[in-house]
Amino acid sequence: MVNLTDELSIAIAELDGDKVMALVKERLQAGVKPLEIVKKLQDGMTRVGELFETGEFFLSELINCGEIMKGAMAELEPILAGGGQGYRGNIVIGTVKGDIHDLGKNIVVMLLKGTGYNVIDLGVDVAPERFIEAVKENNAPLLALSVLLTSCLDSMKEAVTKVKESGLDVKVLIGGPIIDDNFREYCGADFSSNIASEGVKIAEKVFA
Amino acid sequence: MADDKLKLYEERKKRFLAAMNLEKPDKVPVRLSLSEFVAKHAGYTLQEIYYDLEKNIDSINKLLTDFDLDAITGAPSLWWAGLHDAVGAKYLKFAGRELDPNTQFQYHEEAYMLPEDYDAFIENPTEWILNTFLPRLHEELSEPGSYRANLSLIKGAAGMAMQQGMNKKAWATWAAEYGGVPAFTAMSKAPFDTLADTLRGLTGIMLDLYQRPEKVKAALEVLIPHNIFYGMATSGGEMEFPLFMPLHRGSFPFLNPKQWAEFYWPSLKQVIEAFWSKGKRTLFFAEGNWTPYLESIAELPEKSIVFHVDMTDMAQAKKILGGRFCLSGNVPNMMLAYGKPEEVRDYVKRLIDEYAGDGGFIIDAAAVIQGDAREENIRAIIETAREYGVY
Repeated sequence: MVNLTDELSIAIAELDGDKVMALVKERLQAGVKPLEIVKKLQDGMTRVGELFETGEFFLSELINCGEIMKGAMAELEPILAGGGQGYRGNIVIGTVKGDIHDLGKNIVVMLLKGTGYNVIDLGVDVAPERFIEAVKENNAPLLALSVLLTSCLDSMKEAVTKVKESGLDVKVLIGGPIIDDNFREYCGADFSSNIASEGVKIAEKVFA
Repeated sequence: MADDKLKLYEERKKRFLAAMNLEKPDKVPVRLSLSEFVAKHAGYTLQEIYYDLEKNIDSINKLLTDFDLDAITGAPSLWWAGLHDAVGAKYLKFAGRELDPNTQFQYHEEAYMLPEDYDAFIENPTEWILNTFLPRLHEELSEPGSYRANLSLIKGAAGMAMQQGMNKKAWATWAAEYGGVPAFTAMSKAPFDTLADTLRGLTGIMLDLYQRPEKVKAALEVLIPHNIFYGMATSGGEMEFPLFMPLHRGSFPFLNPKQWAEFYWPSLKQVIEAFWSKGKRTLFFAEGNWTPYLESIAELPEKSIVFHVDMTDMAQAKKILGGRFCLSGNVPNMMLAYGKPEEVRDYVKRLIDEYAGDGGFIIDAAAVIQGDAREENIRAIIETAREYGVY
């Protein structure tokens, strides 16, 4: 578990939105580099992910934290010079074809962004070909596929199979409430999880 | 009603009601929550059952001919997509329109109600729904008072009446010609779910809990009598069978325990108690995992609900709720789609051995059974329950 010492990191972990915004503005005025501020926010966000994992936080805290982060980033992004610098890497994500559910995916996106990744979110009902194109275009080492409906699991298998056949050097993570190890094997994916916060841990392995 | 079918209907009904009253029937009843599977079994595409009411209804005739079920949940599609098209509904996506012809229909969630709408909603929910919410949600109603809007209101109301009339007739036929017994005869929702699913959406409601908790509570207060009225109205006065209540955002881990106790539970409890005071039992269809909340649920009056187990820990449910409420569930849907009949058989046997012994138990899948379930696995549930489920 990360030990937070910075006031801003603590404020986001405590879901104090007003304080986060005030500190971000204050630090920008004091001349602190935007990237350093982002780093502090990410530390707080990482802590929130951990608290979710240990069962102290629930989805309500996670979503609230994500919205606070979004507000802070809206302030910071325009002044982050040359956008893209400081990212820990590119991740392509989307819900597989036939499924339009995105609540789970959006939480994973929020956590990944919050911990410093550049996330290319293709949305819902995404055909395998679009995943392959996006991985190529962004040279992404990790592709994350989401599914909710059991009736769309074959669509998930098809997506994984096509990505693997394309010969791209990309790890595939599949996620959803019904995903388990058996299904990961059946699909031929590299990683699987049914817990949003594990997405961050898996990304850390891939980008290590 | 032919004599043999009448006898079959009465036998099944007796078995089903006995379990819900915590008695031991002759056999463990089988109630399967079948939806899109029924279309596949009858040889219809999903587009056909969503758009053609007759095919939607006919698919159940085929189901009841081929399977021995004590209670059924009705035609596979709750919706008539043509009706939704007539009003230009934006919140549902249907096979053959936005999705491929054999893809499950899906709900498109947005914050259709905005934070600034709370006051108007609390002041007069029906007025707000008609004047603000419906136009926002339906393409054809986007300009209230226009001829298109007026026409779509007429079409929508007529369509609804047609669909309900056909369904009512269908239930009479299923009973008379196939001995088909309804799993429920009314529907309602938890007030928090009405607000969180349909109105504010997930992100919206989660922020409201932190930013405007008093508004949330006031809106829930308004929804309590509405959801009670809706349940009783949809029952049409039928009181023997339960009311269907699909429960969503009270499952773990959406809300923290304090939020659950403060926002989710009190209004839901009031609604269920109101039904029970009028003699209507609730099918507490607990989608997802409800293990942390079992102690609170045990506060409800004895027999007032059937607690349906999806991903809730069945052993805990039995320990905390057993002997107080009938339990139902929880053959995993992944197993029905991807497992083998032997696995299903073992699972059903284990459920019967461990949970059905003293009565008050109904066999069902964990969640609604969609088009991916295999027919041999559905047969395995029923056959095993018939073979091993004799008291």
